[in-house]
Amino acid sequence: MRCSLIILFCCSFSFAYPQSATEIIQKADEKMRGKTSQGEILIKTTRPTWSREMRLKTWMKGTEFAILLVQSPPKDKGIVYLKRKKEVWNWMPILERIIKLPPSMMTNSWMGTDFTNDDLVKESSVVQDYHHRLLGDTVVNGKACYRLELLPKPNTAVVWGKLLVAIDKNDFLELYTEFFDEEGKLINTMQAYDIKLMDGRLIPTRMEMIPADKKGHKTEIRYLSIQFNRTIDDNFFSIERIKQFN
Amino acid sequence: MIFRIAWRNIWRNKMRSLVIILSVAIGLFAGIAVLALYKGILNSRIHTVIYAETGHLQIHHKLFKQDNEPQFIIQQGEALLAALKKNSSVKLFTTRSITQGMLATSTGSAGVKINGIIPGKEDEVSGLGNKIIAGKGFDTTKKNQVFIGKKLADKMKLKTGGKLVLTFTDVDANMISAAFRVAAIYQSDNAPLDERNVYVRLSELNQMLTIGNAFHEICVILQNDALTDIVRQQLQQQYPEQLIESWKDISPETDLMIDTVDTTSYIIIGIILFALAFGIVNTMLMAILERTQEIGVMMALGMNRIRLFLLVFLETVFLTLIGTPVGLAVAWILTLYYQRHGLNWSSAGEEVMRSFGFSSMIYPEFPTEKIIAVIGIVLFTALASCIYPAIKALQLQPVEALRK
Amino acid sequence: MWILQLAWKNLWRNKSRTAITMASIFFAVVLSVLTSSLKTGIFDNLIKNVVSFYSGYVQVHKAGYWEEQLLDNSFAASPQLEKTILAQTEITGVTPRFESFALASAEMNTKACLVVGIDPVKEDRLTHLAAKLIAGEYLKPDDNAVLASEGLLKRMKLQLHDTLVLIGQGYQGATAAGKYPIKGVAHFGSPDLNDRLLYLPLSAAQNMFEAPAMLTSYVLSVRNPGLVNATSLSVQQRLGNEYEVMSWEKMMPDIKQHVQGDSNNMQVVQLFLYLLISFGIFGTSLMMMAERRFELGMLVAIGMKKTKLAFLLLTESVLAVLIGCILGITASIPIVYYLNRHPLRLGGEVAKAYERFGFEAIFPTSTDSMHFITQGLFVLLIGLILSLYPVLKLIRLNPVLSMKK
Repeated sequence: MRCSLIILFCCSFSFAYPQSATEIIQKADEKMRGKTSQGEILIKTTRPTWSREMRLKTWMKGTEFAILLVQSPPKDKGIVYLKRKKEVWNWMPILERIIKLPPSMMTNSWMGTDFTNDDLVKESSVVQDYHHRLLGDTVVNGKACYRLELLPKPNTAVVWGKLLVAIDKNDFLELYTEFFDEEGKLINTMQAYDIKLMDGRLIPTRMEMIPADKKGHKTEIRYLSIQFNRTIDDNFFSIERIKQFN
Repeated sequence: MIFRIAWRNIWRNKMRSLVIILSVAIGLFAGIAVLALYKGILNSRIHTVIYAETGHLQIHHKLFKQDNEPQFIIQQGEALLAALKKNSSVKLFTTRSITQGMLATSTGSAGVKINGIIPGKEDEVSGLGNKIIAGKGFDTTKKNQVFIGKKLADKMKLKTGGKLVLTFTDVDANMISAAFRVAAIYQSDNAPLDERNVYVRLSELNQMLTIGNAFHEICVILQNDALTDIVRQQLQQQYPEQLIESWKDISPETDLMIDTVDTTSYIIIGIILFALAFGIVNTMLMAILERTQEIGVMMALGMNRIRLFLLVFLETVFLTLIGTPVGLAVAWILTLYYQRHGLNWSSAGEEVMRSFGFSSMIYPEFPTEKIIAVIGIVLFTALASCIYPAIKALQLQPVEALRK
Repeated sequence: MWILQLAWKNLWRNKSRTAITMASIFFAVVLSVLTSSLKTGIFDNLIKNVVSFYSGYVQVHKAGYWEEQLLDNSFAASPQLEKTILAQTEITGVTPRFESFALASAEMNTKACLVVGIDPVKEDRLTHLAAKLIAGEYLKPDDNAVLASEGLLKRMKLQLHDTLVLIGQGYQGATAAGKYPIKGVAHFGSPDLNDRLLYLPLSAAQNMFEAPAMLTSYVLSVRNPGLVNATSLSVQQRLGNEYEVMSWEKMMPDIKQHVQGDSNNMQVVQLFLYLLISFGIFGTSLMMMAERRFELGMLVAIGMKKTKLAFLLLTESVLAVLIGCILGITASIPIVYYLNRHPLRLGGEVAKAYERFGFEAIFPTSTDSMHFITQGLFVLLIGLILSLYPVLKLIRLNPVLSMKK
């Protein structure tokens, strides 16, 4: 709690000064991540012919460790994904088996969503991997925002050609992002809504990812609760531990 | 005496002689041409497999091919390479390091086999350079360049210079991601293979895989195709710890196709030789028929039947002996010409073939090793086929023959 | 009419000459029919082998499945749909399949594999799957067990009767998972299939992927493989845009390309057969003219008009060619049928290459009536063109010179 207060304090303190593009991105990134986080999220996958909702508990530490525990639908309850560094492990309670996802499975959709298994492992960082440039101001959902252009640094393992990001001026919330390919074609649009106070932080609690050229496809993530910067031991993210969730 | 009569007979009826000479010549020519064509077809087929895909032999670690896992490098690779260099049956070889990975762009992602190659050597062994349809190939001044197949490029909406991310695991099972730029787009005859294979520089891939100077595959080209099985066995005995496979093991489908074409050709050649024999027999029979009166006169004048048989037989021998070099020469010249320039046969199917990127050119090759057999068969056919007409001539009754 | 009678009599007058001419045509027809039908038969047989391996001649999918082989692109199995497909008389059978990628796992070994849900009885009829078994037993429709390819088991270090775990992406985002004993092991000639194929009974596969009554493809058996393109087109029209109907040529363009290439090359070889045939026929008619020079010269000398004589000669040739052709076709029918029922069987290297795929090394003829008709017509054409030779020769005939001998 103290940590997050300090962050909040820092944010409001630096607010008075003109921002460099990189600083803005850094702040926005920190805001959603924290050193650790744990929470409950709802993922809704929409396809032209069906849609599906999943409730998950999540634990994350930095970019290296993460656990996803499925709560519902009932049939999938207890399935765990563990990310340790660059590996993904999958625990299937009905089979009582733990499986390490091989590289060949990384391109597959993660649990039927618009995310791939690879998205779980990827460590590309908006702060490290991009050159940032402030383009100007804009308004998203009635909020004054910075408009930034992010261009990947040469030789970084990033597939995008360009990112256009809108970040809220008051609270440094990433509200709107467009993902372009190298030829400047729009691929994905990410929008954030429902800004609420959670664990003392003001964050958008609903995000939508919409692919540009796939009609009727959408993935929505909703935070039900989240807590930042509680201490979680590295050992928590272990294979032995995830077997004991059930 | 008989020789002289036979010789004179040949010149007496020039037209008839010409027809027989021509049937022998054309028969021989057709036989050689079919063999040359067939050899050209077969070679082009084998070439597309051996010289563009598999090589004659491939050497791997025993366990490597199960999953293409990068820790299974070829042990004592340097010694093996030195031995290959000394082996007189080996013409060329190149090394590759290989890993299974994932290619991602903003459009999507696909599983691929990442081949680390030595550009110059690879061009010699598998002709990769010739398959490039867009882009210039590896630029020594640039890092992280990759070749991708046309179909994959279309699917991923990639152009030359475009960026993609390759993800794979190194020897310690660490996940590695690296950005590459498309240096060239290639296209071979085997589209499914193109879709699955990308090529990067061996040195760069090795660095990412952390395997130093090691490699996973040696692709060997031999002096000639016939050596394949012998050298494979010999190497396998010398290096029992490696897996040594011939192109037949690697691409049994091609072996199947080649064997099918091979067999079909032999059957058709058999039929053609039969047609050849029949043409000669027919012409000879007609020639005898035409000479009924003449033979009748000779018999009436008291010519002995054996001598008569010899006369007819000798005539054929002379005619065949003249026809043979003619056919041979024509076949040889034509084959040589088309071997150099290619035989482009237009047909209704040509457009379809071209749309598949398949060339309708055939480069025939003179079937040197089978030439004696063909000449033998033609000579035998010609001579054998004159026996029946000659016997027929013997059966003529002089009186009846004259009466007509 | 009198010309026809005269020509007929002329043919009978010199029987051996007529016999030789007809025989040259006769053999030309027999040989070219044989070549053509063997060529087609061998390649048809090869295609039959290749498609019976896995794909079948024609497949029906939901539109878009071939490009994106996801379960989202599956369709609901229905007797109505099967009936619509079977209404097309060319279709003799419909085999359902449910295909999806999954992870097969055992202990610490996890490999990607292709799971195929099958109707065991129909599948065996289509691809002779039971015959590919090298250990264990074939699947029964209500089994909850897998039939695994030999290579996959080897890679996973598993054996018959061991248990393996399958994990994958189910239908509409569900998680697919299941534990199955290995009931049978099969060997596939294609290394690609042998390393990753895993068969489940249809219902077990649908259960695992949570896609009850869904299918990814119908494999269609056809009456005449030569008509696959027309057949798939007409099925496509019946089913409408919701489905895609693909022939093996579209699913395996590389095989199509190879077969096409090889059989076209064989066509070139066949040209030489025609060359020899033409020359054989030409030789015969050349000799015939030489023999009949005196006779023809005399006829012209006693006042027969050259045009009438030419017409007579032409009629004679046409009659001989026609009879030769008809006899040739008649004789080739039993030969071709015999070689179709009792095909050439080969041993050695060829047999080995075929056996590797579990094919029989047989080289049958094709009994398509097309061969008899086209080859018959082709030889007829050659014969007719060459029949012009006596006519030309006659026009230039000098009666005095030709009788001088």
